[in-house]
Amino acid sequence: MSSDTPISTAQDALTRSGIDRSLRHPVMFFLMSGSAWLAISMLLGLISSVKIHNPDFMSDCATMSLGRVYAAHVNTLVYGWGMQAAFAMILWLMARLSGKECSMIGSILTAGHLWNIGIAIGVVGILAGFGTGMPWMEFPPFAWPVLLVAYAVIVIGSFIQFRVRPEGGAMISQWYLLAAMIWFPWVYLTANILLHCIPGHPVMAAGINAWFKSGMVFLFFTPVALGTVYYITPKVTGLPIFSNQLAKIGFWSLAIIAPWAGMQKLAGAPIPIFLPYVGGAATALIFIPACAAAVNNLRSILANRETLALSPALRFTFAGLISLVILVICGVFLNLPNSTLKASQFSMAGYSAEILAMYGFFSFVIFGAAYFIVPRVTRREWLSRRLIRWHFLFSVYGIITVAAVALIGGYLQGTDQENWELPWMTAAQTGAAYAVAITFAWCMILLSNFFFFIHLTLMWLRLGRRGPNPTLLTNPHAADALDSAAH
Amino acid sequence: MSFRTFILALTASFGIAWLAIIVIPFFKMRDLAPIAYPEAKTVTAGVFFPKRTGRVVNGARVYAENGCYICHTQLVRPTYAGNDLYRPDWGGLKMDPDRGDTRRETNAFDFNGEKFAQIGLMRIGPDLSNVGRRVETAEASSANPTAWLMAHLYNPRNDPQSWNSKCPPHRFLFEKQEIKGYRSPDALAVDVGENMEMVPGPDAKALVSYLLSLKKDHPVPAALNFAPPEE
Repeated sequence: MSSDTPISTAQDALTRSGIDRSLRHPVMFFLMSGSAWLAISMLLGLISSVKIHNPDFMSDCATMSLGRVYAAHVNTLVYGWGMQAAFAMILWLMARLSGKECSMIGSILTAGHLWNIGIAIGVVGILAGFGTGMPWMEFPPFAWPVLLVAYAVIVIGSFIQFRVRPEGGAMISQWYLLAAMIWFPWVYLTANILLHCIPGHPVMAAGINAWFKSGMVFLFFTPVALGTVYYITPKVTGLPIFSNQLAKIGFWSLAIIAPWAGMQKLAGAPIPIFLPYVGGAATALIFIPACAAAVNNLRSILANRETLALSPALRFTFAGLISLVILVICGVFLNLPNSTLKASQFSMAGYSAEILAMYGFFSFVIFGAAYFIVPRVTRREWLSRRLIRWHFLFSVYGIITVAAVALIGGYLQGTDQENWELPWMTAAQTGAAYAVAITFAWCMILLSNFFFFIHLTLMWLRLGRRGPNPTLLTNPHAADALDSAAH
Repeated sequence: MSFRTFILALTASFGIAWLAIIVIPFFKMRDLAPIAYPEAKTVTAGVFFPKRTGRVVNGARVYAENGCYICHTQLVRPTYAGNDLYRPDWGGLKMDPDRGDTRRETNAFDFNGEKFAQIGLMRIGPDLSNVGRRVETAEASSANPTAWLMAHLYNPRNDPQSWNSKCPPHRFLFEKQEIKGYRSPDALAVDVGENMEMVPGPDAKALVSYLLSLKKDHPVPAALNFAPPEE
């Protein structure tokens, strides 16, 4: 790992703009189709949330029944948006950090289309009633080999770029991205083969599914997001990484701890009894790698508050890191076997943790990086600071509502469930009341993504602003009439 | 750190966990040793094998496809992991007319015949481990349990007792048809128009058959019985 930044020369600038130009189509393809899936997922999430407190809403239509819509919502969020946003990050960051132009655009775009077709058929399959009933793996079984092949074609180029990069050292970002590129196929292949191809014990299958969900979050989305943060923070603040030692500790502790997490969701189920305990302990211990990475970056961000006020990239990254810290604190306090796990195991708290991880942490980091990357690959600046601000505000208030309400509500719901002297209906009522607030939050998040999608589409169509200055959150020359007329 | 060291370290850190919590437990649990059941007189083989009748495979498929697992769990946890056993009709029946207190925790043999144990995500609805038993004894003691479940799936808020249920109706599992001669014996007691009746479709029949097969209160052999000794 090398900490010294290369001296910028005209040659370097040329190389960088060459890389950006070569990646324009893949990066924009994955961000555009990803954010389209995100909007679809938010819409489905809104519908399913309404149905939780208002069960007669659109209930005559089989396609729109709660069980199917919810599954489609989660799977589009994970595979439609999450994975494709991660592809955009991996492609761009690996190319930039390895200093190599992307030379496989044709095959990447073909595989990208294959990925989207696979997801589209999978989602239609879920909605038509062919889901598998395994959380996060509800796509009909034909979908997973298609997605895996598409994945391999998409990232293989980045892997090769890393191998043929000029210098010997590797940045911490590359460690995270490389690890994510290796962990994802391993986790995905294991879960799909063991659940679809080899008949096993049904309870162990459920355990592997719980491990798969945790693995997707902590072994793919988390490392991709942290790799992105470790690139964006030094770039935007202009400061080197606060501590290389801490970065290494954060990386290797994640690599050692995260593969054990997940099975606490099966506490009390008839599987070997150490599995839920190991899962609970590992989920709580993810506090260490997450806080190492968060502190490392937050130190740089907070040392540079003026930039935080101005830069959309940094502000989204900052919010994403705060979400990560909240997520891992919840991870500690909601997964204690024999005390809080009882109440959180089967409540809304689990869903809110997933949303906090996928939206509050991962998506915020990706949004931040997108505000940094898209102007560079399209060579246009973002059109409107107001759209960026709205995107940020609605997203932040939405995710705060989801997190607070679902965590607190989920915990209270779980406590009521555990109180066996209360009639069952009481616990059910407790949960339903909080579900109303979650619907409200989904409305805000849907709206914020509408702003993002519109803005991104305009950038994709290269209708962005031409000019040397980036679009900042507050206008440093607000009084300047000429400048405001230009916007 | 060289690339080779990096890959080796990554493989080791992931691979150990992968072997220890996924691969080895998976293959160990593929064929569980049968548990001898000397005290049972009705089981000819002498091993614990909870019998299930009904369309378990088809019904489990309908259950999975329509996302019942999102709101309903199928796990009665031991007391160290939760208070499910204390509820009077979740783990069995507190006062079974024939057998007394039949409540027990879920064991590994209870999911016989299913491919994937629907442990469930959130308990927005009640646990279904013993829904078959519950419906037969409590809700439908005087009526036909199949008919009660059909009516419940058609409209969960039909019963005045569950007017506030959050369960979505599954009317799409039912078919409207013309009455030709006699009414179908399966027809629901709902008014769907002149000379028309509402009958359960194939998926509704499979699902109800599956739900009625959920009776995880078979007496367990001593090795699986964790109930406190009777006083």
